[in-house]
Amino acid sequence: MRWVENNFFDHLDKFANSLGYENYEIAIPLAMVPWKSPEDRDIFILTITGNEVQGGSPDTFTAAEVK
Amino acid sequence: MTTAPENRGGMRPTAPQNNPANISATGGAGGKGTQAPKYIPGMRSLGSTGVETMAQQGAAPMAGNPVPKVQAPTNPMESMMSEIIPLDAESMDDLPISDGVDIGRGRGSEALPSRLTSPINQDENVALIKRYLPDLMNATRLPGAPDSYKQFVNYLKNQIL
Repeated sequence: MRWVENNFFDHLDKFANSLGYENYEIAIPLAMVPWKSPEDRDIFILTITGNEVQGGSPDTFTAAEVK
Repeated sequence: MTTAPENRGGMRPTAPQNNPANISATGGAGGKGTQAPKYIPGMRSLGSTGVETMAQQGAAPMAGNPVPKVQAPTNPMESMMSEIIPLDAESMDDLPISDGVDIGRGRGSEALPSRLTSPINQDENVALIKRYLPDLMNATRLPGAPDSYKQFVNYLKNQIL
């Protein structure tokens, strides 16, 4: 099993990094929304933050371990 | 005994189509457009293929449907709603769309109803995160998991545990 886009963990990565870690209580329920596509989710993030979506992208997917 | 004059078949001088008074001086309105050629299967048994028949129809198209096109009805609400734009950032009482969120323009979460920010809800959220933290940590070990996600899970772990 590999990391894939458009699932709960991917949504959580994007919301937590776009809204700020301290807003994790907002990021988690938003990550549970069944977004139609990553593009729809990213437009939502762009709308409420006014900034580019933060978080991992395929070129940043590396194999670091949690400490 | 008398019988009515025969009026079936044949050329009758008294028929309506032979009355000059019934002929329009300006001609008929005619049909609008022509029909598209149509493939007719099984034409080979009549001496030509369906494709050939279709080509013949294209050369001499049949008259189209005489029913005139109906103009689509207009929505009278459109003119009244023209100034309201979906997701207009300033359309609700001049409040930005991010009003009530702790990021972006407008007020922060202090503007939300108390039931959304009550300590009870926060406790529930923390309990939920504690419950699923092992799963969130397992996802960091997936091949291709981004560093940004791993850093966030580290932050969560430090906050919750």
